[in-house]
Amino acid sequence: MHKFIRIDMTTLTSTVSEVPAKYVGLGGRALTSNFVNDEVNPTCHPLGKNNKIVFAPGLLSGTAAANSGRMSVGSKSPLTGTIKESNTGGSSSQMLAKMGIKAFVIEGMPSEDKFYVIKLDMNGVTIEEAPAEIIGGCGNYDAIRILGEKYGKHVGVAIIGPAGEYRLPSANISFKDPEGNIRSAGRGGLGAVLGSKKVKAIIIDETGAGKVEIANPEAFMAANKVFSKALLDHPVSGQGLGLYGTDVLVNILNEAGGLPSYNFTSGRIDHNDNISGETMNATITERGGEGKVSHGCHKGCVIRCSQWYTDKEGKYITSGFEYETIWGLGADAGIEDLDAIAYIDRAMDDVGVDSIETAVAVATAMDGGLIPWGDGKAVLEIVKDMAKPTPLARIIAGGAGAVGSLCGLYRTPVVKNQAIPAYDPRAIKGIGLTYATTTMGADHTAGYCISGNILKVGANIDPLKKEGQIEYARAMQIGTAAIDSTGMCLFIYFGVADNPAGYQALIDMINAQYGLSLTANDVDELGKSVLKVERDFNKRAGFTNAHDRLPEFMEYEPIMPHNVVWDFTPEEIDEVMNF
Amino acid sequence: MEESTLDAPVKKLEIRGFLQLDAILRKRYGSMPFYFEIEAPISGLALSEILGIERKDIEVIFVNGFVHELEYIIHPGDRIAFLPPGCPGPYRIALGFYGKNQGNEAAFKIQK
Repeated sequence: MHKFIRIDMTTLTSTVSEVPAKYVGLGGRALTSNFVNDEVNPTCHPLGKNNKIVFAPGLLSGTAAANSGRMSVGSKSPLTGTIKESNTGGSSSQMLAKMGIKAFVIEGMPSEDKFYVIKLDMNGVTIEEAPAEIIGGCGNYDAIRILGEKYGKHVGVAIIGPAGEYRLPSANISFKDPEGNIRSAGRGGLGAVLGSKKVKAIIIDETGAGKVEIANPEAFMAANKVFSKALLDHPVSGQGLGLYGTDVLVNILNEAGGLPSYNFTSGRIDHNDNISGETMNATITERGGEGKVSHGCHKGCVIRCSQWYTDKEGKYITSGFEYETIWGLGADAGIEDLDAIAYIDRAMDDVGVDSIETAVAVATAMDGGLIPWGDGKAVLEIVKDMAKPTPLARIIAGGAGAVGSLCGLYRTPVVKNQAIPAYDPRAIKGIGLTYATTTMGADHTAGYCISGNILKVGANIDPLKKEGQIEYARAMQIGTAAIDSTGMCLFIYFGVADNPAGYQALIDMINAQYGLSLTANDVDELGKSVLKVERDFNKRAGFTNAHDRLPEFMEYEPIMPHNVVWDFTPEEIDEVMNF
Repeated sequence: MEESTLDAPVKKLEIRGFLQLDAILRKRYGSMPFYFEIEAPISGLALSEILGIERKDIEVIFVNGFVHELEYIIHPGDRIAFLPPGCPGPYRIALGFYGKNQGNEAAFKIQK
């Protein structure tokens, strides 16, 4: 029996039941978004007692399927006011799936002002007061270590840092990875939601759990073999992400003139060589010690885009050192030293804030005169101060939109109050349409995966022109909503986009696991249904097409070197979600 | 009096290589970017052969910030970057690689 768990923080009780019929065939984002739309009042305050937060492994999580260890977290976002799904690597998703837990929901709010730890194991749920030493400023690295000493090194951990305790809008939820380091459900302030419910951490202990049930094991293994080969044979796995991480994009976006720089006033920098993935690879290799140029964020990852970045003595500083973080601090905020950025990345993980929202807020603050341009030391201190938090730290952790308002800036790069990530919409127009129309607020990962039929459109795409971009943005968002529901890492897209057999193998694995006969069209329909559910929630929360717009300054401030502006009309933008 | 260079044609290309080409070209030419003089327009393919870059190591080239196929004609003074297969994400479509790569079977498709 698959379990559906509800944890009521008002009464500090829990119930374990069979999965409601509506959610039986859903996983990951499809489940979390349907649940939030069904049970959360769209007009509720995100940090009030009526909001709920739901955690769900994907359809394929816990199986032997390569790259299937993602966990979705859904709620109403305190940053955007929209529905939110944020997903992460780490160990927890696979553990939950093996334990037969389809999803768990945290609702209500305790009356007492103290934090709790929730433990999920094969016997059910226990709720106990959080250890005092992990409350009130303790960083996530230490807190995960302390929880490991108490509950065992083998357990999965989801935790909020001090930023979550203080319900700061950029607060994320951190997840322990296989080595005890940190992965994050980063965007949208879901750490603040967990903090509002006084949940400091969730412990997942899979002791006694069996294997995930597979209806047709032979067909599953055959499909997984094809799928894994599609991923491994693709150059992006072997030559791209595996060696240079996602930071390989710094040089590429810089060359294309789409690397937003100095708070979105330019599309190119001169110090790209300081912060590129190629330089990161060379630095890690040269320093040796604990450094790894390639690392998987969950068991079964064959792409291994993460890494362990080290200091000059070869000691670990941070992992999962992503392009978007390095772009935000290195290009958008002008911090030219990769080591300085690495220490800030570690500090953001430690206090528990979204590294994209924080980096863009920092750059916006620099534009507003709050912080000197490129001052890595000042930024590191501000991020560390989020554990107290000082007034300036609160302002930065309020997100780019809050900083822009407080600094009196019209140039505030947000959509639905969420910071625009590392690809300038003026120079890469298809991604701009996704930023404008996604249900999540500006989010590059909302438009990441497609099915094969878009490639005909893709052949005609010029990043600086409108032709084909509406179809591109629509197909990418539909595909992504479906993939987000499988528990698959979005990076599988690289393998399946060029190889139809890989995409079919993904569907075949789902069919083999659940005894289904889904087609590619069914998967497409799943993606569409998820987007429609999310838009329904947003509409009832008060959002209209008028919110599906990029910031106005992009219409009249051209970005160099291509000297282009954002020129889609409202009518054209609205066509993206017209399906 | 020194001869003015204002009217002299710019003959040097500013060249970059990404992914594995970063280390290879940096070692071969001593810096990144490096500069290479040409007298007349040349195709990207011909330039890559002169520079000793293998065909399999190029998915597309950038010329002055625009994505082009390898056969595109480069002119003196251009800013060039060679990009091997391996660019992640949807960006190979969003940046226009697909349109420039329809005939590039070896670089684009899964190895059999």
